[in-house]
Amino acid sequence: MDRRNFVKASCIGSASLLMGLDPISRAEVVPREAPAIELQGIPNYKPSPLGMPGSFPGRVIEVREPNAIASNRVSQPIVRRMLEQAMKELTGETSSREAWGKFIDPKDMVGIKINPSGAPACCSSPEIVREIINSVQALGVPPRNIVVYDRYSYEIDIASYQTLLPPGVRILGIQEAFARGGGYEPSVYCDANFFGEWETRSYMASVVAHEVTKIINVPTMKDHSASGVTGCLKNLAYGTFNNVARSHRAPYSFTNPLIGLMCTVEPLRSKSVLHIMDGMRQVWHGGPLTQVQQFIDQPGILLMATDPVALDTIELEAIEKKRSERGAPSLWHHDPNSITGDSNAFYHDASKNLFFRQPGHIAEAAKLGLGVADVKQIDHRLLSV
Amino acid sequence: MTMEAAKSDAARDWPTLLKDNARRGGQGQYPARSPEGAVWQFRTGSSVRSAPILDHGILYVTSVNGALHAIDGVTGSSKWKFQAAGQVHSTPSISEDRILFGCDDGKVYAVNRHSGAKLWEITTGAEVWASPVARNGLVFFGSADLRIYAAEAGSGRTRWTQELGGKIYSTIYAAERQLYVGCGDGKVYGLDASSGKVLWSTPTGNGIDSSPALAGDLALIGSEDFWFYAMNTSTGEVRWKYETGLGIASSPAVSGDMTVFGSKDGFLYALETQTGRLRWKTVVGEVVTAPPVIGDGVVCIQAGGTFALESATGKVVWRAGLGGTSQSVPVLSGDTIYLASLSGEVYALR
Repeated sequence: MDRRNFVKASCIGSASLLMGLDPISRAEVVPREAPAIELQGIPNYKPSPLGMPGSFPGRVIEVREPNAIASNRVSQPIVRRMLEQAMKELTGETSSREAWGKFIDPKDMVGIKINPSGAPACCSSPEIVREIINSVQALGVPPRNIVVYDRYSYEIDIASYQTLLPPGVRILGIQEAFARGGGYEPSVYCDANFFGEWETRSYMASVVAHEVTKIINVPTMKDHSASGVTGCLKNLAYGTFNNVARSHRAPYSFTNPLIGLMCTVEPLRSKSVLHIMDGMRQVWHGGPLTQVQQFIDQPGILLMATDPVALDTIELEAIEKKRSERGAPSLWHHDPNSITGDSNAFYHDASKNLFFRQPGHIAEAAKLGLGVADVKQIDHRLLSV
Repeated sequence: MTMEAAKSDAARDWPTLLKDNARRGGQGQYPARSPEGAVWQFRTGSSVRSAPILDHGILYVTSVNGALHAIDGVTGSSKWKFQAAGQVHSTPSISEDRILFGCDDGKVYAVNRHSGAKLWEITTGAEVWASPVARNGLVFFGSADLRIYAAEAGSGRTRWTQELGGKIYSTIYAAERQLYVGCGDGKVYGLDASSGKVLWSTPTGNGIDSSPALAGDLALIGSEDFWFYAMNTSTGEVRWKYETGLGIASSPAVSGDMTVFGSKDGFLYALETQTGRLRWKTVVGEVVTAPPVIGDGVVCIQAGGTFALESATGKVVWRAGLGGTSQSVPVLSGDTIYLASLSGEVYALR
C-alpha cells in the first residue's frame, strides 16, 4: 500500500444506522457510508516485526485475581505477580526479565499510553503503570527515557499520576503541552470529512511520531457510547491523533472504520509492541467517562497480548456477557428508541445510549491486518495467581 | 483561626496554601451571597488549574501556558502579564511586594506585584506545582525533584535543601519552628524550619497530593489511600483518621472546630477537627480535588461547577455553572466572587 493511502471504507451496519429515522432528515445529515479517509504516515518508515499484530497474533493471556482489587483499592503486590505470570505465559519465557526483553531494549525510549479519561472511577491504575515502569527500568531503561502520556493533562491530573508514578519518569498531556514532546506532527494525519466539519484532519502526536521507539498500551476495560468498547485499538487511535470527537455526531458514529485505520498509520503501528489491559475495574455501561459505580464492577482482571484485535475481541465478549447478565441491551443493539440526548439519562439507565454503537470496528481492524477477530481462532489462555 | 496561625505576622507571612487555614487567600470572612451574574470576564488564553488570589484589588492568576496575569478586580482589565518558560500549575502566593509561584521549568519565580518585573528565580531539578509559602523572611516549597527548599524571600538565595522520599506536589504548612508537608512516597513529614532536618515522618497507604492545614497540635491532610489523617504535630502520631470512597487530593480548610475537604468520590466532608467525627457529607460533583474555602456561614467549592453549602448542615444553598474545573478555588471578597475555569476564563460574579 502506498504511504499516501486513500481508503474508501464502507460503514458496516449502515443500514441499521438508518433504521426507523425520518428519511428526509437522515438524508440531510447522515452519510450512508464512511467518507474516503486519507492516511498519511511518515514516508519510508520501515515497518517493525514487533508492530501490530506483533510477535503473538491471536494469543490473549487473561489473569484473574479477585483479591487484586478491594473497595476500589488495587493491590500492587498482587498486580506484580499477575503481570509476571502473564508476561511469561505470553512469551513462553521462564523469567519475567527475559519476557520483557522480547519487546523492550535498554536503548529504547518507552512510551506508556494510559487511559485516564474515566478518572477517578476507572482509569489505568497507577499501581499497574508503576509495575510496568519497574519492569522496564529493570531492563536498564533509565526513567528519563520513559514517558507516560495521553491527550489531556487535566485528566492525568485528576488521577494524580504525577504524584503516584516514580521520580524522573516524564508525564505528558499531549494536547496542552508546549514543551518537549508536546503537540502534533503536521505531516502525519488522517483526513476525512464525516459531517461537514471545518477541520477534516486529525494529526499524530509528535511524541509518537518522533520521540518514543516503543509503546506499551495500557487501556482500561470499558464500554464506549460511540465505538461499543474502548480497548487497545481505541486507546491507541483516539489517544494518539487529535480532533477525533468529530467522528461521531449523535446518534451516528464513524468510529468504525476510523479507529482501525488510524492504528495502521506508521509509526504508530510499528511502535505499539505490547498491550496490557487493566481489567481491575470493568465498566459495562456509561463509558468512557462515567463515574456511576452502579455500572462498574471490580473483577480484578489483567489481559495481555501483542495483538490488539484479539484482546479487544475478548474484552467485547466480556462486556457483552456482563450486559446480558445485568439485563442491558447488547452493544450491537441499534434501536432508535434507546437513543437519548440526555446525558444524565444515559449515565443512569443501561438501556439508553447517546449513539448507535460501533463494536464492528474491531472486526474491521482485523481486515486491515491488525490482528485476529474470530473468537474461534483466538488462543485465549486463562490463568489465576 | 488556630493559635498557630494567629502567631504568624499576617501582613508579612503566607504560611500555607491560600494563606490561611480557611483557604480564604487573606480575604475577610465574607458570606458568599448567591451571585446574579458576571460583572466581567477575562480570557487567559489557556487552561487555569490553580487558584487565583486577590490583593489590594488586583487578582493574580496563573495559567497553564506559563503566564502570571495581574487583573484589575474592578474592571477585569489586564494590569500586566509575566511569561514563564514552562507550564504553570502552581497557585501563587504573596510575600510583601513579591508574587511567588512555581513552574514546570523547575523554577520558582518572584515577580514584583506592581510592575510584573522578575525579582529573582530559584532553579530546582524538576517541576514545581506546589505553592511557595513565606514565613519569617524565608520562602519554602517542595519540588518534584524530591527536595524541599528554603530560600531568603528578599534575594532568593537558597538557605538549605532537604531530600525526601518522593516527589513533592503538596504545599508546605510553615509554622513558627516546623514545616509540615505531604510527599509522593506516601509519608507526611515534619521538618525543622531552620535546618530542614526531618523530625518525623508518618506513612500513609499511597502518595500525597493534599496540602496540610494546622489546628492546634494537629496536622490535617488527605492521602491517595482514601483516608484523611489528623497527626500530632510534634510526633507525627496519628490521632484519628477518616475513610472516604476514593483518593483525597483536596487540601482541607479549617475554621473553628470544623475541617472540610473533598474526595475524588465526589463528596465534600465536614469533620469535627478534634475527633474526626462526621458532621455532614454532601455530594457536589463527580470528583472533588480542589480545596474548599470557608466563608461566613458557607463553604464554597469548585467541582465541575461552583457550589456554596451551608457550613452548619452541608446543604447546597446555591450553585453556578461557571468555574467548570475541579482544580481551582473561588475568591470570596465582599460582594464579589472571583472564579477561574478549566477553559481559561476568569470571572467576577456579583
